[in-house]
Amino acid sequence: MNKSKLFRLFAMLMAVSMLLAACAGAQPTAPAENGEKKVTASGFECPEPNPRQDVTSKELNMFVWTEYIPQDIIDCFELVYGVKINRDEYSSAEEMFAKFSKGGTNYDVLHVSDNVVPPIIRLGLLAKLDKSRLPIMANFDPTYLNLSFDPNNEYTIPYEAGIDAIVVNTDKVPNPPKSWADLWNPDYKGRMVSIDDSRAIIGVALTTLGYDVNTTDPKQLDEAKEKLKQLMPNIKVFDSDSPKTELIAGDVDLGIVWTAEAELAHQQDPAITFIYPTEGAINWQDNWGIAANATHADAAYAWLNYSMQPDLFWMMLRDFPYINPNTAALNFAKGNQMKVTDANGAETTLGALYDVYIASPITNPPPDAVKKGHRAVDVGDATALFDQVWTEVKGGQ
Amino acid sequence: MNPHRRSPLVLVSTILVYFFLYAPIVGLVLYSFNASRANVTFEGFISSFSQRVVTEGSLVKSSPCGPFHWFCELSKNNEVIDAARNTLTIAFVATIISTIIGTMAALALQRYNFRLKPFSQLSLYIPIVIPEIVMGIGILTLFSQFFAWLNATLSLTGESRLTLGLGTVIVSHIAFMVPFVTLVVQARLQGFDKAYEEAAMDLGANEWITFQRVTFPMILPGVLSGALLAFTLSLDDFVITFFTNGPGSTTLPIYVYGLLRRIITPQVNALSTVWIATVFLAVLALQLIQNREAKS
Amino acid sequence: MFQRLRENKSAQGTLLAFPTMVWMIALLIIPLLLTLIVSFGRRSPDGGVIYSFSLENYTRLFGYSTDCDNGASACFNPLYVQILWRSLTLAFNTTVLVILMAYPLAYFIARAQPKRRNTFLFLVLIPLWTNFVIRVYAWMMLLRKEGAINLIIGQVAHWLHIPFQPLELLYTPGAVLVGMVYEFLPFMILPIYTSLEKIDNSLYEAAADLGANAVKTFLRVTLPLSMPGVVAGTILVFIPVMGTFIVSDILGGRQVILVGNLIQRQFLDARDPTFGSAASLILMVLTLIVTYFYTRKFGFGEEIVVA
Repeated sequence: MNKSKLFRLFAMLMAVSMLLAACAGAQPTAPAENGEKKVTASGFECPEPNPRQDVTSKELNMFVWTEYIPQDIIDCFELVYGVKINRDEYSSAEEMFAKFSKGGTNYDVLHVSDNVVPPIIRLGLLAKLDKSRLPIMANFDPTYLNLSFDPNNEYTIPYEAGIDAIVVNTDKVPNPPKSWADLWNPDYKGRMVSIDDSRAIIGVALTTLGYDVNTTDPKQLDEAKEKLKQLMPNIKVFDSDSPKTELIAGDVDLGIVWTAEAELAHQQDPAITFIYPTEGAINWQDNWGIAANATHADAAYAWLNYSMQPDLFWMMLRDFPYINPNTAALNFAKGNQMKVTDANGAETTLGALYDVYIASPITNPPPDAVKKGHRAVDVGDATALFDQVWTEVKGGQ
Repeated sequence: MNPHRRSPLVLVSTILVYFFLYAPIVGLVLYSFNASRANVTFEGFISSFSQRVVTEGSLVKSSPCGPFHWFCELSKNNEVIDAARNTLTIAFVATIISTIIGTMAALALQRYNFRLKPFSQLSLYIPIVIPEIVMGIGILTLFSQFFAWLNATLSLTGESRLTLGLGTVIVSHIAFMVPFVTLVVQARLQGFDKAYEEAAMDLGANEWITFQRVTFPMILPGVLSGALLAFTLSLDDFVITFFTNGPGSTTLPIYVYGLLRRIITPQVNALSTVWIATVFLAVLALQLIQNREAKS
Repeated sequence: MFQRLRENKSAQGTLLAFPTMVWMIALLIIPLLLTLIVSFGRRSPDGGVIYSFSLENYTRLFGYSTDCDNGASACFNPLYVQILWRSLTLAFNTTVLVILMAYPLAYFIARAQPKRRNTFLFLVLIPLWTNFVIRVYAWMMLLRKEGAINLIIGQVAHWLHIPFQPLELLYTPGAVLVGMVYEFLPFMILPIYTSLEKIDNSLYEAAADLGANAVKTFLRVTLPLSMPGVVAGTILVFIPVMGTFIVSDILGGRQVILVGNLIQRQFLDARDPTFGSAASLILMVLTLIVTYFYTRKFGFGEEIVVA
C-alpha cells in the first residue's frame, strides 16, 4: 500500500467513526414529562408507576439471566423514569457468582438463583432490603416467600419459579422417556439438548442413583460423574440461553430444559411436550436482589416496584412463561379483555393468555409433580466437588 | 517467464477459495431479508408494505418497511447503537494513544541503546505470541484484585468507585495494540536512511525540527499502517473485551455474541449485513478515489 | 536541563520508551505474574483464592489424580492432557488446511496484473473486516440440519433420486475445524502474498533459462522464497487457534472442549481461578515452545510486517 492511499483510508475511517459516534450520541432518551403518553418502540403504551418513587440516578446497571425480561418493560422503565438501563447478562448461576463475587463490578440490581443466594449473602454482596420502599411485596403469592434460602426475604424478592424436566418432540420420538433414567437410552444418541446447568444435570444423575441432589458425599458424586459420562453421547448440544431454538429447528428431538423454553417450543409446535419424570423433577426459583455497594439504589427500588406492577408483569405470561409468583399480575390478567399479541404475534386478549397459562401443565404444573420435585440448595464447601465433577464430565468427548 | 502463471490448478483453487470465503457472507445477507422470524430456513422475502407489522405464525407477512423489515427493527434497537458507539469510541481513543506511544517506543528501540532495551523488546513480542485469553485472564485478575483493594483502602463508594467499564476496556486494548504498532513502525524504521536526517542537521536544524520535517513524514506510512492495524484489532476484539468490560461498555462483538444467546431473529443478520455493507462501501470509495487519482 | 538531555542518548531512549513500558509492565508483566501466583494457590470454597504454594493445579493438569477406580492411592487421569492434545491437533490441522487453501490464492493474486491485485486483496480483506463473531454465526446458519448446506445437498440428492437424511454437520468437531479455518484463512493469505510478491521475475526467467520445469521451479525457487510468509502466517494462525474459545462454544455446541474453553469455564462456571490460571500458563508455555522451535527452523518472518 502506498502512502497516500493509506492516509486516505485512515482519514476516512477516522471521519466515519467520529461521525457515527457523534450521531449515535445524539439519540435523545425520552425525558419523563408529565401528561405525555409514553409509547415503546413496539407500540405498547406504558402505564404510570404506581406508586411513583423518587429517583435521581440517571442509570441502572443490571446483571440478569439472558432471555428473561420483556423488552417493553425495560423500554417503559427508561421512558417513564428517564433512567438508562445497562444490562449485562449471564447464562448460569455459577457464572453469575464468579463474576459478581470478584471485586470491581458495578451492578445495582441482579437476578439471583435460589442455590447461590446463601453464599452471596454470606459474602455480604447483597444489600438488606428496605421493605418500606417495596410496596410490591404485597403482590406475591406467599408460597414463594420466606423460603429456606432467604428466610423473611431479607435480601431477595421472588421473580419467577420453574421446573427442569424432560421435553420431547412426540412427532420424532415414538417412545418418549418417562423418567430421568430413560434418557440414558442409546436410541437417543446425539438427539438431546440440555441446559448447561451443573447443579441440575448432576442432580438428574443423582436422582437416578437414588441419592439426594444436595449430597455432599464424594463417593456419591463420583458415581454420578461416571453415570453422567455415559449420558454425554446422547447430548448433542448444551444451551442455557435458548434451547427451544434447537428443538424448533429440528437439530434435536428431546432434552432437559426449563419451564418457559418448553412452553414456548410447545406453542410453536404442539407436538413438543413436557414430561415430569417419575423420580421427581428439579424445582427452582429466581429472585431479585440489590447489590450491597449499588451506586443507583433508588433506581433499583423504582425498577423492582415498576417492573413487577400487574399492568406490566403480565407480559411474562406471554414472553417468558415460567411459574409466576406474582398473584397481582395473574389476577390482573384473568378475564381481562385487553387486546394483546401472543408469542407468535397473533391477536388475542390478555384473558386468553391467562387461560393458556392456567391450562398448560407446563406453566401450571400438577401439584404432585411439584411436590415430588427436588430443590437444589447451597452445599457450602462441597460446591467445589460439584464444579469439579462438571469439569470432568464436560471435558471428555 | 513464470511457467505456472496460467496453471489451471491455481485458477480452480482460487475460485474455490473465494467461494468458500464468500458463501457464508452471502448466506448471512440473504437471510437478513428472511420472512421467517425463527430464521431457520429461508421462507422468502417480505413482499408487502403495510402500516403495522402483520405476522402469521412465525412468518412476517407484511411490514411498514417491506423486505427491509429487520433493518427497521435494528434501527429502533438502542442497544445496538450504544454498542456501536462504544466500539468506535474505544477503537478511536485506543488507536490514538497506542499509535503515539508505540511510535515513540519504536524510535527508542530502533535508534537508542538504553538499559532496559532487551527487556522492552522482549515484552513487546510477548503479546503477539501468546493467545489473547492468557492476557485477558491476567488483566481480569489484576483489575479485580487491584480495584477491590483500592476501593477498600481509599473507601471509595458510589460513583467514584473503580469498576470494570469503558476505561478498563480502553486501557486493555492499548496494551495489546501497542506491540503491533511498535513492530510495524520498527520495520519501517529499519529501512530508513539516516543520511536525510544528517543532511538536515548539517543545514542547521535542531532535533525537533528534523523530526518534524524529515523523519516523521518519511515514517508516516509505517505509522499509519500501524494505526490502521491497531484500529482493526480493536474494532474486532472479542476476547480481551469479554474479560474486561462492565455494564454500559458493551461493544458490538460482545453484543452480537449476546444476541446469539437469545432467540436468533433475522435482526442479527441485518446487523451483519449493515456491517458488511459499511466495510464494502468504504473499500469501494477508496478504490474510486484511487482510480480518480490515477486518471488525473 | 534540555542540554543534558540532548547529550544523554540513553536517557532519551528511556524517555521515549517510557509510556509503552509502563503499559506493558502494568498490563502484561504484572498480570502474568499475578496469574502465576494465583496458579500456585488453592481454591476457596466460594471460588476465591487462598494464596499458598501448592503444585496441586499443575499436577492435576498433567493427570495426577487421587480419585482412582481400583482403590489405588494415585493414578493417571488423562482428561486435561487430552484437552491440551485436542487443542494442539486442532491448531495443527487448521494451520495445515489454511496453508493449503491460502497458498494457491496468494499465488494467484501475486501473479495477477498489478492493477488488479489490490481488488483481489480487498476481496480477501472484506470478510476479515466483518466481525469475528458474525463470521462464526454465518457458519452456524449454513451447517444446521435445516440450513443451507443440507438444503442444497438434499435438492441434489432429490434430483439424483438418492435417499437423503439431513447431515449432522453442526455441533461436531468438524464444524469447529471449518469454523477455525474460515476465521483464520485471511491471516495466512496476506503474509504469503507479501512474500510471493517480492520474488523478482528475473528469478523465474533464470530458472527457465537453466531448464527447470514448473515443478522444479516451484520447489527450488518459489517455495523457499515464500517461506517467511508461511512462517508469519503460521504464527498468526496457530497461536490464536490454541486460545480461541468462541468457535468451539458456538459451533461445537459447548461439547467440544479446547484449552480456551477449559480456561474460560474455570473462571466462570467452575469457579476455580487457581486451576484456570494454571491452565492459562501452561497454554502460554506450550505456544511459546511450539513457536520457538518453529521459528528456529524456519525463521521469524519479520519481513512480512512491512506493509
